[in-house]
Amino acid sequence: MHPVSVTTTVVSASASIDAGDLAHACGADIGWIVQLVELGIVEAPAAATPPEQWRFHDTDLQRALDARRLERDFGMALDSAALVLDLRAEVRRLKALLRAHGLHDGR
Amino acid sequence: MEFKDYYATLGVERAATEDDVRKAYRRLARKYHPDVSKEADAEARMRDLNEAYDVLRDPEKRAAYDGLADRVARGGDPQGDFQPPPGWDQGFEFHRGPGAGPADHADFSEFFSSVFGAAERRGAARHNPRARGEDHHAAIEITLEDALAGAEREISLQSVEPDAEGRFARRTRTLQVKIPPGVHPGQYIRLAGQGMPGSGGEPAGDLYLEVRIAPHPRWRIEGRDLYMNLPVTPTEAALGAQVQVPTPTGGVVEVSVPARARGGMKLRLKERGFPGKPPGHLYLLLEIALPPADSDAAQAAYRQLAQAAPFNPRSHLGV
Repeated sequence: MHPVSVTTTVVSASASIDAGDLAHACGADIGWIVQLVELGIVEAPAAATPPEQWRFHDTDLQRALDARRLERDFGMALDSAALVLDLRAEVRRLKALLRAHGLHDGR
Repeated sequence: MEFKDYYATLGVERAATEDDVRKAYRRLARKYHPDVSKEADAEARMRDLNEAYDVLRDPEKRAAYDGLADRVARGGDPQGDFQPPPGWDQGFEFHRGPGAGPADHADFSEFFSSVFGAAERRGAARHNPRARGEDHHAAIEITLEDALAGAEREISLQSVEPDAEGRFARRTRTLQVKIPPGVHPGQYIRLAGQGMPGSGGEPAGDLYLEVRIAPHPRWRIEGRDLYMNLPVTPTEAALGAQVQVPTPTGGVVEVSVPARARGGMKLRLKERGFPGKPPGHLYLLLEIALPPADSDAAQAAYRQLAQAAPFNPRSHLGV
């Protein structure tokens, strides 16, 4: 079977996604994205603009997906999920820094 | 294909209540979560747990799975080459309603897609006759070199799709994916139209591939920055030197080690990490490597150095 060539884009500052796409990727609706913005889980440029105009980047997509999974799998409230995500980001940063300096045990 | 014992995966009895299943999942998910787990196979275990929980948490899917397990048990040994009996899932429709969360099924096993794929598709189409297909999520691991220089990769995806007569069959699709140069860990490559097909003429969902970068023996990644240990001799560290350093993009650059450099000192090669706004840097961590004292001449030189530059590296310890 011949492989199919497909168009790929990297979600980034220059190829951002809108609130509808972000909600769809998370199996959620725009109202849920509005909650994420209110809690600071994802960043919208200006909360005063309508959600339809918001644009999101790769870190937003990762955090939104992770928040959705925490909510679904652990029955976590979104404000607790926000704290878990912040702590986890910090742990990941510190682990990467330790590894960068050759001080990590590889886990 | 192997028959998956989802009860064993979650370590619960067949008679377990919904609450038991949920508790077992949460306990194991905490144990095997890749951020906290000390187990080497944490990520694979987590995927198995998610798959088992996806089925056993849903009363409809669980009933269908139990029925299938009974048929398999009556048919003899469930191990080995399992194929779902044709039409076994008729009458079942597993719809993932709004709020079901991200469709992580792209990462699930062949067993899952064979058994639940078709019924989920039917359920989705019936539940919402006109809807854009769900987005799928998967991860792709690439080398650091490919991430920086870009690459093409073939990936295989399992899916369940209707044939010309409307029968659902499992299909493996092979996609040629272009990885643009400069992707960094945690970015997503979006493949338009490669998620679940839509229903009622609506477009298919997209496939999001999360970029992961395999550990590299030489360079380590922190955010957009790269780190490498750079061994230098005591002479190079003391007097300063020009040394050659390989870069992750395949080139070699000449770097100035300043005089009186110390072990652990960080040299920065500006904007030679991952590209981006702002671009990352490449850091070299100096590591003093001693020349071996394995000849008379080398030993004599060490003795001369001790005489010429008397030095107590332990003075700060008070001895």
